[in-house]
Amino acid sequence: MRDLVRQKTSLSEEIEKILNDQIKQEAKASATYLSMASWCDQHGFGNSTEFFYKQSGEERDHMLKIFKYVNDVGGKAISPEVTDVPNNFNSLRAIFEQALEQEIANTQSISRIVEQCYKAKDYTTVTFLQWFLKEQVEEEFIARRALELFDVIGEDGVGLYMIDKRIPDIKYQAE
Amino acid sequence: MQVSEHFKEIFRTENGCVYQRDNKGCFAVDFGGYTTDYKIPCFFALKRLVDNIDLDAMALNPRKSSDIEIISPCGSERCYVLTLRELIEFRELLAGARVMLQLNSILHERLYRIAV
Repeated sequence: MRDLVRQKTSLSEEIEKILNDQIKQEAKASATYLSMASWCDQHGFGNSTEFFYKQSGEERDHMLKIFKYVNDVGGKAISPEVTDVPNNFNSLRAIFEQALEQEIANTQSISRIVEQCYKAKDYTTVTFLQWFLKEQVEEEFIARRALELFDVIGEDGVGLYMIDKRIPDIKYQAE
Repeated sequence: MQVSEHFKEIFRTENGCVYQRDNKGCFAVDFGGYTTDYKIPCFFALKRLVDNIDLDAMALNPRKSSDIEIISPCGSERCYVLTLRELIEFRELLAGARVMLQLNSILHERLYRIAV
């Protein structure tokens, strides 16, 4: 009997599900960054606004990368529903803290997927996910550096203005 | 129904059977007196639909409307109107077919697809 299932897709049901969960997570991250951009714009932090618009676009690109991969290997990528996107933030610092937490959660999520792929012996997907693990190093670095500015510069006086001014200078240089 | 050489029986219960149609690259589900062809994604979508029905809630709900469940799978004009008992039987059939398909994949991997 032909192996129709394997001929159709190389993804197991379990891996397809967790990849679709990750698609949803990336979509939510994109929406959250958009929300952060909106808050920053409302409060006059122009550079932070552009930073979060860019982050939002990047998260959407990550989502699309996984989405296309799932379809490319014969699985079914599910266009995600995004709910419970935060719209209110207490401060610029709180926003950057949440941004860092979000990136850490993303890194851990991708690591869990890699772990499951190893267990399922899906090395093709493991190879695909290497790019994301490398990308997360950069994402966490940038979010962490941005947060460190609050300690280095301080928030008193023109502190927030100076922090916002420095945001576009944060770059990651891989070895 | 007449089983031709192109219908390979995957899994059979007292109430139905799932066949693989190699010539068409799809599965045929024989249940409730009717046989319906499903493409592979639609077959698994049907299984997910059936698995997601909360049978406990259905059993505990005293309303008449919860005595039956209507299932409209994608990629098919067929519509299933099933009682609780029929749902359990259908779920058993689809789950059994899924296991046998996984076994078939394992056999292909271990026995047939060996790099020389």
